[in-house]
Amino acid sequence: MAEMVTILIDGKPIEVEKGTLVIEAARRIGVMIPHFCYHPKLKPDANCRMCLVEVEKMPKLQTSCSTVVAEGMVVRTNTPVVDEAHKSVLEFILANHPLDCPICDQGGRCDLQDFSHRYTPTGSQFTDTKRVYEKGFFSPLIEKEMNRCVSCLRCVRYCDEIMDVKALANAARSTMTEIVHFAGHPLDCEFCGGCVQICPVGAITSRLSMYEFRPWMMKRADTTCGYCGDGCSLILETRGEKVIEVMSSHGNGRNNGDLCAKGFFGYQYVNHEDRLTTPLVRQADGNLHPVTWDEVLPVLAERLTQIKLAHGADAIGGLISARCTNEDLYLFQKFMRLAIGSNHLDSTARYGHVNAARALRRVQGTNRWTVSYEDIVQADALLLIGTQVTAANPIVGLKVKEAVKKHGATLLTLETLVPSIETTSNITNLSALHVAVPPGRHAAAVRGLVKAAFDENLVDAALSSRAGDYVSRIRAAATALPYPEGLDEAALRAVAKAFAGARRGVILIGQDLLQAPGGHESAVNLLDFLLLLGKLTQPGWGLAPLTEENNEQGAVEMGATAEYLPGPADVGDAAARTQIAGAWKDQPPASQGMHLLEMLDAARAGTLKAMLIVGENPVRSLPLSAKAASALEKLDLLVVQELFLTETAKLADVVLPACSYAEKTGTFTNSEGFVQKVRPGLEPVGDSRPDWEILSSLSVMMGYPLEYGDAKEILKEIRAVIPGYRVLGAKPEPAQVAAKSVEQYLTRGFAEDLPARYSAGAAPKANSHRWALAVGQTLFHSGAMSTKAQGLLELQHEGKLIMNPADAQRLGIADGDRVRLTSTSGEATVPVTMLGRIPEGTLFFPESFREALAGLPSMTPDPVTGVPYCKQLRVSVDKVGTGGASSGPPPARIAGGK
Amino acid sequence: MSVADLVKTFTFYEILVGMKATITVFIQRIILRNRKAITLQYPHEKRDLPGSYRGMIALLKYDDGVEKCVGCDLCEAACPSRVITVISAEVEGEPAKRYAKEYYMDMTRCLFCGLCVDACPVDALAMTKEYEWARYNKRDLRLDKPQLLALGDRNFPVREKKLEFQHPNVAYFNIGHKNLPHKAS
Amino acid sequence: MATHELLLLKNMSQPGYSGSLADYERAGGYQALKKVLGKIPPGDITEMVKKSGLRGRGGAGFPTGVKWSFIPKDHPGPRYLICNADESEPGTFKDRQLMERDPHQMIEGMIIAAYAIGVRTSYIYIRGEFVLGARVLERALAEAYQAGYLGKDILGTGFALDLYVHRGAGAYICGEETALLESLEGKRGLPRIKPPFPATHGLFQKPTVVNNVETLANVPHIVNRGAEWFASIGNPPKSSGTRVFCMSGHVKRPGNYEVPMGVTFREIIYDIAGGMRGDKPLKAFIPGGASAAFLMPEHLDVKLDFESVAQAGSMLGSGGITVMEEGTCMVWAAENLLHFFNHESCGKCTPCREGSSWLLQILRRIDHGKGKMEDLATLTRLCGNIAGRTVCAFGDAEIAPITSTLQYFRDEYEAHIREQRCPFRSQPAPELISVGR
Repeated sequence: MAEMVTILIDGKPIEVEKGTLVIEAARRIGVMIPHFCYHPKLKPDANCRMCLVEVEKMPKLQTSCSTVVAEGMVVRTNTPVVDEAHKSVLEFILANHPLDCPICDQGGRCDLQDFSHRYTPTGSQFTDTKRVYEKGFFSPLIEKEMNRCVSCLRCVRYCDEIMDVKALANAARSTMTEIVHFAGHPLDCEFCGGCVQICPVGAITSRLSMYEFRPWMMKRADTTCGYCGDGCSLILETRGEKVIEVMSSHGNGRNNGDLCAKGFFGYQYVNHEDRLTTPLVRQADGNLHPVTWDEVLPVLAERLTQIKLAHGADAIGGLISARCTNEDLYLFQKFMRLAIGSNHLDSTARYGHVNAARALRRVQGTNRWTVSYEDIVQADALLLIGTQVTAANPIVGLKVKEAVKKHGATLLTLETLVPSIETTSNITNLSALHVAVPPGRHAAAVRGLVKAAFDENLVDAALSSRAGDYVSRIRAAATALPYPEGLDEAALRAVAKAFAGARRGVILIGQDLLQAPGGHESAVNLLDFLLLLGKLTQPGWGLAPLTEENNEQGAVEMGATAEYLPGPADVGDAAARTQIAGAWKDQPPASQGMHLLEMLDAARAGTLKAMLIVGENPVRSLPLSAKAASALEKLDLLVVQELFLTETAKLADVVLPACSYAEKTGTFTNSEGFVQKVRPGLEPVGDSRPDWEILSSLSVMMGYPLEYGDAKEILKEIRAVIPGYRVLGAKPEPAQVAAKSVEQYLTRGFAEDLPARYSAGAAPKANSHRWALAVGQTLFHSGAMSTKAQGLLELQHEGKLIMNPADAQRLGIADGDRVRLTSTSGEATVPVTMLGRIPEGTLFFPESFREALAGLPSMTPDPVTGVPYCKQLRVSVDKVGTGGASSGPPPARIAGGK
Repeated sequence: MSVADLVKTFTFYEILVGMKATITVFIQRIILRNRKAITLQYPHEKRDLPGSYRGMIALLKYDDGVEKCVGCDLCEAACPSRVITVISAEVEGEPAKRYAKEYYMDMTRCLFCGLCVDACPVDALAMTKEYEWARYNKRDLRLDKPQLLALGDRNFPVREKKLEFQHPNVAYFNIGHKNLPHKAS
Repeated sequence: MATHELLLLKNMSQPGYSGSLADYERAGGYQALKKVLGKIPPGDITEMVKKSGLRGRGGAGFPTGVKWSFIPKDHPGPRYLICNADESEPGTFKDRQLMERDPHQMIEGMIIAAYAIGVRTSYIYIRGEFVLGARVLERALAEAYQAGYLGKDILGTGFALDLYVHRGAGAYICGEETALLESLEGKRGLPRIKPPFPATHGLFQKPTVVNNVETLANVPHIVNRGAEWFASIGNPPKSSGTRVFCMSGHVKRPGNYEVPMGVTFREIIYDIAGGMRGDKPLKAFIPGGASAAFLMPEHLDVKLDFESVAQAGSMLGSGGITVMEEGTCMVWAAENLLHFFNHESCGKCTPCREGSSWLLQILRRIDHGKGKMEDLATLTRLCGNIAGRTVCAFGDAEIAPITSTLQYFRDEYEAHIREQRCPFRSQPAPELISVGR
């Protein structure tokens, strides 16, 4: 319990914690002290001098944003002197401030405007010439109007303190002080939009929404972001049928008001002109033609019923995107299991998260994190393995930065990236110990970590005595292996030691580990590591897999995978089946379901006759060598519910237009297992409908009505069926490790695949292709949806192969040159760019533009979890052309507005 | 009751006061045979309108022919009966400059209260003295920007200088910057 | 008037004194250091300096010994001593001479100070424009290292000190101690909010002492000859010791003069600096650098010590005395000073950033004959709004010339406005030189 002090503000006593700032204390009793430069997230800078207050026994007025409360302090905020001071500061600011409120996008929500209304007369005594800045081009997405700036430096401080990007600085002196970026080119940063959000006036605004709105016109919807698994709270600001901008306010949601480029600038796909607005049906001429819902649904229901009768329910399979809401996911699996009667269903959690979810369930009995973001911030050691956290999960990245920068946590990284100072932040720059792990070698690094736990004598003594067999057999298996070749052994041992020595530690794992061969085993091995250190069951410790898509956690928990019923519970689990059957008043099918790759195989073999695909595009997500397209073409009936006419939708017999997250009601479960509301900001575009609604009407037509009035009713059912959803609180309650599961794992469970988990694995095959290419997430794109968002395309409009500058120099490649990549399964020609954070000998390609790689990647399915591994490959690089059109700006930027 | 009140009661004084105008006109017209017409033969004859007459609303231009409106939406916000719809955008070819790309006034709803004219920060709106705007189709009364500008041209032949020439110290705003690329869309 | 003994300027006033280590040692240099190191406990040095009554010579006049004693004794980790050689005050040029002509005197003072407060690393933050000074100091440091006065094991006592010269980048504000620290850390030189003070959270958030060149140069003399002796010079107890005053403006012999504190302005202007140029009457003078308020002929008998000058409504400041003769336009003088302050305002806090240019625009207008009577009220009001409301003392400094000229020469302002021209000049006012942008 913090020490409390009592102070008197405007005669009202208030008790606050020691160390609180006066301005904060005042806010708590509803006294609003005007301010510009103060922001609760930032360190006080006291440069605007707006928050002056009278403090008894102090001769001068004090800035309340930098004055810390002291016992018995008497503060006055509304005396004539204070009032006069506020007026005078405003007068100074307004002296040079242009009177362009009518055209300023901040007009109507501007601090300066509000304070001016409150404090100053309408006239000004300033009769001289106002200062005018020359206007330069700042960035295609962020507009800078320095004439409006009040030099509070919030943007500069945010960029440094929170983002660790340091893209902005204040330059020049006196009245000519201005906010600048590193010049010579437009702003080049992470484009988190933080400066736009934090600017109290209209000096920094979003160019994407410029002049399209006035704040009072907009409707706001508090919702949850649909990009990554971080689960950021967003405020969708809409006008009519259009999303105008996205904001997130301080103190709001898990992200506390911070956003990333995707969240802040990536909303425009919702209003993209290519959105499907009517159902499409393939007609006799072989083309898709628009029809009405009334026409399509009965026909579709009849076709499905026919196939079910002719070939049995097992001839129908389903696939759903983990970007859908929990309600969609839940109803989808219920529809598949009851209305169709098939267990052949899968979701995109199959692409990686299933690896982690199965490992967690197996060892700790819950598939959820046993920690929350707060534990990350409070941890004093953080171990990041294959996360690329800033690019893939930027807000968790911020939590890591906060832990390191504010709380002095020790950051340990086993990442593909290497430290390098660049225009965007690089988490490895902050790491105390960094082990460079080439793509695809993270699993080996994890095995090395377990070995290091033994070699450094870090094993918990209590565990050794309690589960001697477990420890000795793991020891035998792990220490029998050599340290992975090519990794720094000493650093690996130091990492294990540093992590074990911490008071609280969290292991964060990401797609580089989970979407690579051995992903499932590695997750289990890391739980072994935590068990061996004796930390798994301690509060504040845990393994935290990060998810790539926003609701992969929800997809697993809703049972939208072949192996799980809602809960998740194993399909074969009799007790769970009884419980579900009780809730559903019907038995789910008992057959073992097929996962995605098995379904594709079955389709190819002709045993699967129909597929229902919701929001997913396997033709694009899987490499060409998976031959998803040819498998889907073989189906008698392919139904696709989509936002856009994707590659998969083009093959479909029936395409149904679905709503985007901006038009839906529902919930998302973020990677820490926190369930958050999705609220609609728009009416459905065209005739599109929420996915659950489509499935519900289809079930009615098929004679197995799964009827719900709205998404809330589905949520009610979910709450009845799934334990973690019974109470949805304001804050996540981290799951507890189930002692029973751990006991079971320690006694028997660990042994079943021990040799497989601790085998050296297939060493990287030495072939003629000597470059390791990783396909992964970038900061500006996630999945295919983001490539429809104009704002993000401005930042990155094509996939460029990234290589180390030293490598490029060696090959004589300049930025923008094109190279031909050759792998064992194909070749592709792509443009190149350079980044020092990509280690030498390694290449990186953004996943969102994977179609450019064409047939390059090959695929290996995981033997246990069926996860398709296709993100790491070995290639050869040949330069084929220089510069050229592809390196220029996107055409839209020149063509201008319509 | 005083004598005066008593007299008033007997003579129906209040009624006389009420009928003052009637009696006056009666005496003038009938008794004194003063036949000057007080009705007008509208539409052949029209009244002189007072200076503050509030007729159709018009959009104005500066003396160089540039429309004054900066598309700030303040008229829309001020309008009590939701007459005005403004869709603002960046001026084509002059990035960072704002204007009303589309501007609509649904005159069927207009109260002619003049709040929009008061709200306009750049004096782009004015009330003309036009009033003969009966239409067979009420959709014709949803005026768009060219119509409103034409109203202004018709009624205000003398145009003002640009704002930055009127108030050089304070009116540096809404300037196009040709060196900037156009906003992405 | 009676002659007095020179302390700081003594060496350099000897003919042929080059400032080299050999010359300094010949003149008795580094004896104080030898007397101190390993022989007198650090705490006693601080006590001695406290007892001597030495006060900061940079402007604020804070007692030096007290400042040293604020450093937490038991603080783990490094602590720093910084010599503030960023002398940029218009009309002040004493530190420059002390550094260029007798660098070892200051270095010896720094080593003793470092010993007294237990510092291992120390910096001399020198104004960027002092190219010669920086070179001289670099050479002197090299000599001192060579001779074993600096380095790992000074004079075999085990005391280690590293001294570095850091050149500024040309900002007046970096003479403010917290801005100096920011600049030294490699950041933009902007003043920090206080508290916390440098004594606890200074350079790299470590305890730090920042002392002026002249202050440190006094230390060897105090050690050599004792606190009592030092405390007997000048006008004790509040203003003991001598000071180097920089005479500039309309006097016959401008230059640096070292006098014991407590002499009067009359003595220093008329006796020491040779009186007014062309024997014109004195109109006004600035007693302590550009940030000090103007004083009038009636203040000529004010004593040159901290208290007396403060009582007269100004401050002793950095010791730069600028004298103005009859016929000087005071509006222009104020404008000239404000031009400097406007150019040097760091732009961090609002009143100073916006106020300086506003004030300058008004003054310029008045000076150019376009003023209005309301402007005078506006000037007074704006000055009041800047005073005491800025992050650092710069705000108070920039308004001092205006408030004092408005106080003493209001009629001149009014004449400018009434006649719509400068009554002292027939030519238009000369363009003020702008450095940089």
